[in-house]
Amino acid sequence: MNELLNFSEDELLAIRLSFRVAFWCAVFILPPSVFMAWWLARKQFRGKSIVEGFLNLPLVLPPVATGFILLLLLGTNGIIGKYLNEWFGIKLAFSFYAAVIASMVVSFPLAIRAIRLSIEMVDPGYEEAAKTLGANSLQTFIRITLPLALPGIISGFVLAFARSLGEFGATIIFAGNISGETQTIPLALFNEIQVPGHETAAFRLLLVAVVFSFAAMSFSEILVRKLHHRK
Amino acid sequence: MHALSARLKIQKGNFSLDVEVDFLKGITGIFGPSGSGKTTLMHLISGLEKPDEGHIEIDDKLILDTSKNWNVKSRKRQIGYVFQEGRLFPHMTVRKNLLFGSVYADKTQQIIHFDEVVDLLEIRELLEKRPKNLSGGEKQRVAIGRALLSAPKLLLMDEPFSSLDIALRKQIIPYLIRINKKIGIPMLVVSHDLPDLLSLTQELFLLRNGRVEGHGNYFDLIQSEKSLDIMRGAGLMNVIPFKVESHDVENGLTHLINRDASHEIHVERELINDCCKVGDELNVSLRPEDIAITLNEISDISIRNQLKGNITKIIKKENRTYCLVDVGFLLIVSITQASQQKMNLEVGTEVYCLFKSMALQINL
Repeated sequence: MNELLNFSEDELLAIRLSFRVAFWCAVFILPPSVFMAWWLARKQFRGKSIVEGFLNLPLVLPPVATGFILLLLLGTNGIIGKYLNEWFGIKLAFSFYAAVIASMVVSFPLAIRAIRLSIEMVDPGYEEAAKTLGANSLQTFIRITLPLALPGIISGFVLAFARSLGEFGATIIFAGNISGETQTIPLALFNEIQVPGHETAAFRLLLVAVVFSFAAMSFSEILVRKLHHRK
Repeated sequence: MHALSARLKIQKGNFSLDVEVDFLKGITGIFGPSGSGKTTLMHLISGLEKPDEGHIEIDDKLILDTSKNWNVKSRKRQIGYVFQEGRLFPHMTVRKNLLFGSVYADKTQQIIHFDEVVDLLEIRELLEKRPKNLSGGEKQRVAIGRALLSAPKLLLMDEPFSSLDIALRKQIIPYLIRINKKIGIPMLVVSHDLPDLLSLTQELFLLRNGRVEGHGNYFDLIQSEKSLDIMRGAGLMNVIPFKVESHDVENGLTHLINRDASHEIHVERELINDCCKVGDELNVSLRPEDIAITLNEISDISIRNQLKGNITKIIKKENRTYCLVDVGFLLIVSITQASQQKMNLEVGTEVYCLFKSMALQINL
């Protein structure tokens, strides 16, 4: 039992890194997710299903393929990455930021989905009422839509966080497997499984992954239930 | 001067609305069966929907003119909209709901202050409560207060009675009359319930299939067959203004007298309760089916209310015959065709209208 809690320096590093990546991923993903969710929930426009399909692509695309696309776009010689490097000296690939970006791309559709559901559950009648009382669209959004959809927005944040904790494929391609910089729990776990005799270490990381993923999903479910209750 | 004048046209699927309306200050009722376009009309006036073609003026200020591409946004129209279900914001207390619009309102145009609204609508105890803990009638009052505090020039009320049970309906009406009297804001009240509407106002617009089928005073409207036809399915009603003349404590009766003091009727004191003093004005409603017609005054009968008058119009609809009787004011009486034929009732016939005092309803 003690063995199971006796984390090595590298493992603790991976756990801490995982949480840092997950936190920043969820923070950065939230504003664009809220905006996209609101747009998809409230606006009708031509080509909406194409936009939706594109946004949902990372859900079904092999994460390795997503990572490869990111590499092609943002890698040092990538379509955009080349200019980032030439003009600003920014090298994204194989860095901490690459791990965050990879997580963001794969968790974006999840966050949008959760938030969109919660916005769709907000009766547009309240928004109409706010308009007749003198509020403009932004004021209506901030004072009515956002607070009423709050449980769903928090749920979106938690889902993005949890998805990031589990991210492997896109990260290993785009960010690499660098201890202390891009080696998150799943990557460390992958390493330990590869090495014979490291089963205990693998179990320790497995335990961490299970506990936190479970906690995050339960929390998200509780929020969704709260949303339904409010109706 | 008109409070609002509008010409509006919109096509929505199979339904089309094409109306021209002029509303006076005071309370105007918009009556129509469901699907007649009442809510669409409210939406167009408030700016929640845009007409295909239209022109709206409020207080002679241009709000909408599609030919000039002029469209004042909903939030800038200064129209208070009281929605059918109230639509109170569930995440805010009553106080915050009430104050929601006042941050956007022009303070110089404020028609009523927070404390006045709270007192007028008697909602002080509710201020810190959440909407989900309010009863239907309380929600409705808060919704009215919230609209008033956004400094509107016009108040739209969409079916203010339909979410309330009968007892509560009677309670909300005095508040509406009080608001209109106190701050003189023009009100448009939409309803498919004629008796409720009539207890509020006699100035009506009749809407059917997206067209205005008549407008004006209720008693003028019932003289037209077309208007009568629209209204009769929804419960025709006689609404007569009376004044309290005296209380007959011994017999448990109250004597009421009509405007020109030509007629006196008796009602049970219980109906009046103790809310009315001698000299107070009130509306008495009476269903046309609850009135009987005789050719002579009948002395040996328990019914005390017998009003003499002449038949001014007879309208036959299916098996019913509607007689308009001028007894000093107009009464609409509904009898069977058989009775009408047997009694030989015609325009000009002198008759007596009989009704039990129990059949009267009092609207304060």
